[in-house]
Amino acid sequence: MADEFIKGLGIVTAAGLGWLVLAGWYRTSSFESSRQLIESASSGGSLFDAMGIALMDGLLYFALIGMLTFWVLIPAGRQARSAIRDRRSQ
Amino acid sequence: MTENEPNTDDDVRSDGSGIVAPDDETPTWRERKERTVGLSRLTYEYFERSRREDQDMRQASDYVERDVLAFPTWPHEVIRNLAIASFFTGMMLFLSATLPPHIGPPANPSSTPAIILPDWYLYWSFGLLKLGPLNPELAVLGGSKLMADRTYGVLANGVVVGFIAMVPFLNKGSARRPVEQPFWAAVGIAGVIFAFTISVLAIKNLFPGNIHLLFDLTFLAPIVGGFVTYAVLKTMREGYMYDLNKRYYRLRPPK
Repeated sequence: MADEFIKGLGIVTAAGLGWLVLAGWYRTSSFESSRQLIESASSGGSLFDAMGIALMDGLLYFALIGMLTFWVLIPAGRQARSAIRDRRSQ
Repeated sequence: MTENEPNTDDDVRSDGSGIVAPDDETPTWRERKERTVGLSRLTYEYFERSRREDQDMRQASDYVERDVLAFPTWPHEVIRNLAIASFFTGMMLFLSATLPPHIGPPANPSSTPAIILPDWYLYWSFGLLKLGPLNPELAVLGGSKLMADRTYGVLANGVVVGFIAMVPFLNKGSARRPVEQPFWAAVGIAGVIFAFTISVLAIKNLFPGNIHLLFDLTFLAPIVGGFVTYAVLKTMREGYMYDLNKRYYRLRPPK
């Protein structure tokens, strides 16, 4: 269980840091705005910008889904499996 | 250990009752059911007995215990501190290298900027200065407020600091883990959530959303979080006591 916790924490912090940096570039017109990091993405149009935006969205979904997987789905699956096993053994 | 063992009974018993506790100290089932002292007391007894058993085994053996006061600074502490210092140095280098530079217009000392903020660790205190809507308008004063909103905010700091100063007198903190005292764990969690929400309220200029909803959540979220924590820990406590008892009685099987 502790392994799953640190996997989820590592994913959400590392991927979240990458998303933060890229969103600071592509989704932030001003750091005094209340919409910083969540504006619609402003693409410069070059290939590198498109790659950066794709990576930014990918990292965001990786952080959220990775955290959900290791903190909720896998432990819930284990609980369900052990509960089923206990019921069958009775 | 085999020579000086206090228990003269030489045959090894497979149920583990021989070396662990004298039989007259092993509680009967009736005594176990009558055990109504707190869980922290049970935990203390459990660890105290295992400590004493460990001590007995060491005294019975020829093991020479040295006076080890602590781990040496080199390499243990230095390596750990180097790792921590390297992490934060690397994080500063990474962020300063990768985040876009934010160079605002030159500061104008004759006008206050629209957004002024203290350092992040003082956001909670800054948020307490924004409690104006909580300052009551008293009917006996003809609908006017007893004190200015800024005075009210400063006094709110005293309330928070006073509560934090009071908690050690209300609860000594004998619990080793939150599950042992769900209520005080819930109070702690509510405090942590309130520290966060009041800090978000302090930067409501930068908050993307409804400010009134944020103000309500500032005070409702800690209460809800405290209730959820209490419910979860109260539920977990049964299983925790069961595990603890199981371990305790596996070491000392009943007669």
